[in-house]
Amino acid sequence: MNGTNSGKMEGGCTALALDTSSAVLATAITRNGSVWDSSQSFTERNHSVRVVSDLRELMARAGLRREQIDFIAVGRGPGSYTGVRIAVTAAKTLAWAWQKPLVGVSSLEAMAFGAWHQWTGRPDTERSAWIVPVMDARRGQVYTSLFAANRDGKWARAEADGIRPLAAWCDSLRELAANADDSERPQAVYFVGESSFLEGKREAIAAGAGTIPFRTEAFAIEAGAVGLLAERKFRRGERDDIHGFVPNYTQLTEAEVNLMKARTEIAK
Amino acid sequence: MTRPYHLLAIETSCDETSVAVVRNGGEVLSNVVSSQIDTHRRFGGVVPEIASRKHVESVTVILEEAVAKAGVSLGDIDAVAVTQGPGLVGALLVGVVAAKSLSLALDVPLIGTHHIAGHIYANRLVGEIEYPALALVVSGGHTELVLLASEGRFQIIGRTRDDAVGEAYDKVARALSLPYPGGPHIDRLAQEAREEIELPRAWLEPDCYDFSFSGLKSAVLAEINRANMKGEPIRAAALARGFQESVIDVVTAKAMKAAAEYGVRQLLLCGGVAANRGLRERLSALCAEAALPLLVPPLSLCTDNAAMIAAAADLKWRRGEFGTLDLKAEPQLSLEDWSVSH
Ligand SMILES: [Zn+2]
Repeated sequence: MNGTNSGKMEGGCTALALDTSSAVLATAITRNGSVWDSSQSFTERNHSVRVVSDLRELMARAGLRREQIDFIAVGRGPGSYTGVRIAVTAAKTLAWAWQKPLVGVSSLEAMAFGAWHQWTGRPDTERSAWIVPVMDARRGQVYTSLFAANRDGKWARAEADGIRPLAAWCDSLRELAANADDSERPQAVYFVGESSFLEGKREAIAAGAGTIPFRTEAFAIEAGAVGLLAERKFRRGERDDIHGFVPNYTQLTEAEVNLMKARTEIAK
Repeated sequence: MTRPYHLLAIETSCDETSVAVVRNGGEVLSNVVSSQIDTHRRFGGVVPEIASRKHVESVTVILEEAVAKAGVSLGDIDAVAVTQGPGLVGALLVGVVAAKSLSLALDVPLIGTHHIAGHIYANRLVGEIEYPALALVVSGGHTELVLLASEGRFQIIGRTRDDAVGEAYDKVARALSLPYPGGPHIDRLAQEAREEIELPRAWLEPDCYDFSFSGLKSAVLAEINRANMKGEPIRAAALARGFQESVIDVVTAKAMKAAAEYGVRQLLLCGGVAANRGLRERLSALCAEAALPLLVPPLSLCTDNAAMIAAAADLKWRRGEFGTLDLKAEPQLSLEDWSVSH
């Protein structure tokens, strides 16, 4: 990412950012709209082992002292239940102990935003696109969302984060794209996600909507995007309540669903 | 005079979120326990995913409360201790990540701690332990006889081969349609019972300190089935008495036999089931008879809590045996391996 290591760290808007919702353990330091330094680790699915060490190493490498941190930025999911708890717990604890504000962002938005930012440097990228982050939620379902972006800096959420069956979600996106007004119609729709997940799903996704191509691009979450998205919220004065902050699981646990089912049965 | 030191401990191995601040290894300044029992009662037992979610919800709240109650500031904390295992992996992870984050934030050492060592060293918070000592650990997840030849050195001489005592209590309580958690209800019913349905005792091989409770549990279920088939009412109190008598007979007999064989100077009773009145009374009587000092922590230190984790972590604090920030939650952590190294 486009970090600059020259400026002084003081006096700006500096975030320590992290995300563990997917297969990558991502940490970053962002400052005043750019990524100062970041790391991505794919080696260990058990992010709980390395998360704090990675943060410490990143801070040491960047020479970032805790007094220089203005806020903690974290991806709150959705994603792996165990995964999202790791970053959220670390972020809550650090924010509490250091008495720093906490700003949570959607991990799906971070994935989409990071991908779009990377592509805008590429000449073949369309001027306007829809970005559809997808993360495996098993049983044919995905954690997903929809964002509209263009090269003039537009970045807007078009659908809420949720868990959806992939096939039905593709169908509804085709319909949405085909029926969109001229001003809203994207030049392409990009599905972004982990390469191992997209493998084998490209066929299902590839049928575009008329002249609008549907593309798949492998992309792993970068915490730089978490920090940059959080910085926008932070500048608007948005803060999360450290104690009350929890991951966005998007759904109840199986036990709760079963209990509700059982109660409805009895009510009948 | 040396400066006092403070350990902050975090315990999230099952369904209690707990944080404690302990001064000089034995003085409990705070021990905040947030129980999720009301949540899990609806499901008739602990649901691991829900337990993990609850831990994330409460962890900083409990941290703040424990530090405030202790009357210290974060700058006074000299080390962070955390239950590394055994326990539910998702639940342990929350505590471990919080502890590691706090260790980084405060730039103090981290001490990964064994949950059962915590139960045993809860006794250290109420008295001096004299070695060799024998610990009888009875809880929802554990039933063990642990020999402590010297401070911080653990040798398991007997363990359950199937259900833990507390687990057997819960299963029997469920079969008798008693509310969750069932242990206290069985204990109360057994005390109130006017009669007893005699149930088998699982002594296992001679000279063996292991336990088995699944046969006893099956005997209870068989008796309930028999009554149901015949259309007779279930004699819950008599069954509770029979069950509890069988458990207590076996557990206390094995503990007393091991205490004699190893020539221990103290018997330590610990774990959540140490709250069981029947068990406490019998063991007190037997120990008095054998002139063996019995240590039992107060109830608040028997059930899962973080002060006991600080008490065990103190063993390692005093020896400078610290963990790294790469510390991993270990759902199967071995107690013997966790022994102090010198
Ligand atoms: Zn326990």
